[in-house]
Amino acid sequence: MLVDLHFAALGLYVLSAALALAPFWGQSAISRNWTIGTASLGAVLHGVGLLELLQVGISGVVPTLSVLAWFLVLLQIVSEVVLRASTVALFTAPLAAGLVGLALLLGLAPGAEPSAGRNMWFILHVTLSVLGLALLALAFISAALYLWQFRELKAKRFGAVFQLFPPLERLDRLNHVALIAGFPALTVGVLLALGYARRFAGGLHVDAAQVVWGSFTWVVLGWTVWVRVARRWAGRRAAFASIAGFAAVVLVYVALKLAQPGTERLL
Amino acid sequence: MSIAVLGVNHRTAPLEVRERFAHAAHEVPKSLARVLSAGATGGVLLSTCNRTEFYLAEPQESVSDAVWSVLAERLADGQRDAREYGYMERDQDAVRHLYRVSAGLDSMVLGESQIQGQVRDAWESSRPQAGPVLHRLFQSALLVGARVRTETRLGTGTASVPSAAVSVATKIFGDLTGRSAIILGAGDMAELAATCLAAEGARVVMVANRTYERARAIAEQLGARALTLDQAWPHFAETDIVLCSTAAPHAVVTWERVAGPIGARHGRPLCILDLAVPRDVESSVGQLENVFLYDVDDLQSVAGQAAAQRRGEIPAAEGIVNEEVERFWAWYGGLAVVPALREFRDRLDQVRAAELERALRRFKHLSADDQAQIDQFSRALLNKFLHQPTVALKDAADRGRAYGLLEALKELFRIGRGDHDA
Repeated sequence: MLVDLHFAALGLYVLSAALALAPFWGQSAISRNWTIGTASLGAVLHGVGLLELLQVGISGVVPTLSVLAWFLVLLQIVSEVVLRASTVALFTAPLAAGLVGLALLLGLAPGAEPSAGRNMWFILHVTLSVLGLALLALAFISAALYLWQFRELKAKRFGAVFQLFPPLERLDRLNHVALIAGFPALTVGVLLALGYARRFAGGLHVDAAQVVWGSFTWVVLGWTVWVRVARRWAGRRAAFASIAGFAAVVLVYVALKLAQPGTERLL
Repeated sequence: MSIAVLGVNHRTAPLEVRERFAHAAHEVPKSLARVLSAGATGGVLLSTCNRTEFYLAEPQESVSDAVWSVLAERLADGQRDAREYGYMERDQDAVRHLYRVSAGLDSMVLGESQIQGQVRDAWESSRPQAGPVLHRLFQSALLVGARVRTETRLGTGTASVPSAAVSVATKIFGDLTGRSAIILGAGDMAELAATCLAAEGARVVMVANRTYERARAIAEQLGARALTLDQAWPHFAETDIVLCSTAAPHAVVTWERVAGPIGARHGRPLCILDLAVPRDVESSVGQLENVFLYDVDDLQSVAGQAAAQRRGEIPAAEGIVNEEVERFWAWYGGLAVVPALREFRDRLDQVRAAELERALRRFKHLSADDQAQIDQFSRALLNKFLHQPTVALKDAADRGRAYGLLEALKELFRIGRGDHDA
């Protein structure tokens, strides 16, 4: 059932990606209700699958990938409904499909910490940290869309990107909101990890790689929020900061994972 | 049984003529009443800045004179006869004309949607005089317009320079509500674009011109503040949109004048729309960070792309129009078949009865039974003769092809004319 639900969600995410891409291939724009509806149905099925996954624990790479994909799709739906930023799906839908596909490929089994995986502190830590990460990814996506649209507007190219991408200010606002919401989520996630380590694991069961990556991600997200809020960066400069921050977080993760391979633990 | 449209539009009459023919809503009933009194069962007057058209149900020959006479009275002395600016379409062509109008296929800006509201308004204001056929026709015309806009991309994009200016600004700022705009110069195009921006919620806060007096005249119209050009440059630091349309022979918005204030914007974009020819803004201004500069050529390119895209949708839109014309005409044809058939049968029955009476006068020796037999025989014979034409006509009506047959029937048997000469 768990695998079936993930396969169903995967199919709907692929369809959602195709619907988002269709207008760029010269097809008629699909009704907004269809694109939102497809993603929403996928998210519901995926959510039910995650509830099942919770029963066995959500530690390890595979559950994290699944949760991250789910949050990305939820954020895609929110972006589309609240900010009418439909083209966010160009990135989020294929990314979510890829993450779910990878999770299925690796096998939807719990990680190395089944007891921790069922602990509420741990579940909240994973949920909020992954939400923070998904919001950082959304900030990256909105920044990429911003720079793309910016380049087209500056170059006076009035093609598909001009027609179909959201306005610059809306993308800038999406970036701002994603960062502002992501930072507290990640902060609480990190604090919960510290609390969990002290209370249940006696502060002993934490790998250095986890600490390094968690702290690094928190610092990067904090920095991007700081430059936007305190230094009043906006537009292109803020977009570059978001892209650089997200790229750094991904690169550090990949480097740490290469140093310590395996799917049982996130790091 | 007939529908006709008589009128003028942007293709047949210049603006100075069209504006004379244009009817305010309160003038419509009077003009329509005059035309209908010349012989028509229903009428709708569609009057916009681009067209004045009388749609008429069952018009008689004298109606066209009444229409041209109503319009001619509005012409100035020395202008040509109204008929010379006009056109007339009949029956399916008239229906097709209205459907094309409602779909935006006959508009000056292809696919514009404003016309649909105008068709609705015309129908509403002429409703007491429209009659059932035109009531149905206008109702269906609105549905055709909606169908074309839903099923094709005829109405997408922006097809004029002022609307392209709004479209570009919208792509930068999203919602224009509350965005501030400065107008440099007093050109008509900038004023028009400013009106379009204001319609989207933008505020024109300042109007700057080389001469203060001219700036003040426009500023008062737009509820803005008047400035001289030299006073305008520092305001580039806080405004969102600059519309340029001065008559200067050289660029007045230079890199130096914009680069200073732009530093205080903290990365907020500035959209400069240069609608002047020759251009008001140095092209180097467009290279400044977060400054988006567009001239008339750029905006025409946006409008042109949309227009080209719209032109590509014409075959699909015409297909919908033709399909709906067929549908309407099937309904309209069916409407006339039953009374025409009844009259046809009555007419032939009168002939039968008259001939029978004449024959029976000569055969007085026949018994009452025999005479009844002959009467029965004549009725059966008439029914036999009428059976095939009746079936064919009803079948044609079901397929929407009754119009030609009906017209032939009317012509051959003088039906619907009230002149019984049998």
